[in-house]
Amino acid sequence: MDIIISFAIAVLFATGIYQLLRRNVVRSALGLVIISNAINLFLLAIGAYDGTVQSYAKAIGVRSDALPLALILTAIVISMGGFAFTFAMLYIVMRRYKTADIDAITELKN
Amino acid sequence: MNSQDAILPIAIPLAGAGVAMLLRGWPKAQRLWTFGILMASLAMCANLLNHVFSSGKPLVFQLGGWAAPFGISIVVDALSAIMIVMVQFVMLMGCIYALDAKDIAKRYSVFMPLFLTLTVGLTGVMLTGDTFNLFVFMELIVISAAALTAMSDDRSGTEAAFKYFYISQLATIFLLLANGLIYMSYGTLNMADLAIRIKTDALAGGPMPPMFTLAMVCFFATFMIKCAAFPFHFWQPDFHAAAPTAVSAMLSSVVVKSGVYGFIRMTTLLFEPFAPQLQQVLMLIGAIGVIYGGFSAFGTHHAKRMFAYSTLAQIGFMLMGIGWGGTLGIAAAIVFMVNHALIKSAMLMLSGYLASKAQIKSASFENIKGLGKYLPQSGVLFFIGSMALAGLPPLNGFVSKMMVFRAGIEAEQWAWLAAIGLASLLTLIYTMRAFQWVWFVPPAAGVKAKKDGDSLFAPTMLILACVVLGIWGESLVSIAMQASEWVQQPAAYIAAVNPAK
Repeated sequence: MDIIISFAIAVLFATGIYQLLRRNVVRSALGLVIISNAINLFLLAIGAYDGTVQSYAKAIGVRSDALPLALILTAIVISMGGFAFTFAMLYIVMRRYKTADIDAITELKN
Repeated sequence: MNSQDAILPIAIPLAGAGVAMLLRGWPKAQRLWTFGILMASLAMCANLLNHVFSSGKPLVFQLGGWAAPFGISIVVDALSAIMIVMVQFVMLMGCIYALDAKDIAKRYSVFMPLFLTLTVGLTGVMLTGDTFNLFVFMELIVISAAALTAMSDDRSGTEAAFKYFYISQLATIFLLLANGLIYMSYGTLNMADLAIRIKTDALAGGPMPPMFTLAMVCFFATFMIKCAAFPFHFWQPDFHAAAPTAVSAMLSSVVVKSGVYGFIRMTTLLFEPFAPQLQQVLMLIGAIGVIYGGFSAFGTHHAKRMFAYSTLAQIGFMLMGIGWGGTLGIAAAIVFMVNHALIKSAMLMLSGYLASKAQIKSASFENIKGLGKYLPQSGVLFFIGSMALAGLPPLNGFVSKMMVFRAGIEAEQWAWLAAIGLASLLTLIYTMRAFQWVWFVPPAAGVKAKKDGDSLFAPTMLILACVVLGIWGESLVSIAMQASEWVQQPAAYIAAVNPAK
């Protein structure tokens, strides 16, 4: 299980970084979404997620830590708002320039 | 004073933002309400500053009554108290400017509530004692600032907002990653608790946890993007030039300070055992920022862009102060932060004032050249402001630059001192060049100032504060020295947050 999860994180990160560096702004924004999901998966992996005993109890057994889950929930909610905002702005920008090519969106430069 | 009062500077504007949203049908009431809320919360901050300095120990509030390493702590120590007073004072001035501005932004009913949430985010970053909470407040700053920028009069406002949001979203995602890595290494997110564990680990001399260095690097990179330090500055000038004036004045003066504040906390509390290495890097990026920012400001043709690049140079001075470290270095950085916030917001408001008086609403020098003939009062303010920015006595810029140079002399860093000393002369050249273009060049045929424009009240107040802090700089310097002595001894901070250890 550990191997599968770490492999998944690596693949997601690599895909995200690759998309982030594309010239198409929509793809590059999607890269941001993928990276954020890779980090959420990483947060899941750092907590002991398959145990049965609470981490604060003085009992014997495989421990489980709920805190990273709370972190993930908060991060998901925040990033959902953020990405909705990103794509809304992207829609306006693309409608104005009628292209998704980052090299064509240059009015700010001068 | 109860410990609950520590959270009021966050709670008052947050509740105020909610009520302001309900008042969206009554724009006048909404503006007055926002102004009142910012006044109340500034009074609360000043009260906290007074309390912290008179009681001599940090005021700590544990949210929900959960004791330190488990719950979220809100910590008001000397550094945070000075920072929140600075933030809220400048935000109040920005609100006053916005009340009387002619921007389109004012017609949006969410403008004032977003202004309040920006205040919440900034205050929260300065007060929190928990790294995950830091992430949440950083995200709040980013989303409020980007939405405020998108309401610009400028056609490319949305583009600028997108650019900023994209970069900052990436930065906050990496702050989240840093939180994950630090939790993986030490199992806690409380800053005081982390400081103890990292110190014990470093003193033991064994290898640090495998992910620890990566966490440190992620924190460092995030704060670099937040304060727009040298290699990550590229988004800042575009963004500041396109934002509405009241917003760009806030962005360039107080929003960038969240990153500088983060660096102070990193080198004196969180990663204290590794401070020498971090300080080396800070010195390097600071010096490059001072030189590069000075030259870039020289090459611009837009007043707001010029001041945005000048922010890059001034942030460089603060990073040099933190890099040299010691009581004097940190105190210099604190004084510089406060003074720069006042000067830079005043200068950007004056640029926005000129743009609002010009026929086409833009602060590019083409457009405002010669306009000063009709606007003599703003010329006086601009002149005093640029003297302060360049660091000439008897203004507050002189006090802050003097402290940075003294910190450098004490640290015996002669080569760095020579470099930034020469680069700081550039400030005088580019601000004087702008002054000359606007107030001394005769206006071209047909150039006339419009009758209606923004009000000069807020920049006048800020310039007045600059003069007062220049002539009576003693008070600010002495509290900054005290604050610096506090942060040099993290043991007191840790003991206040976490009495069990």
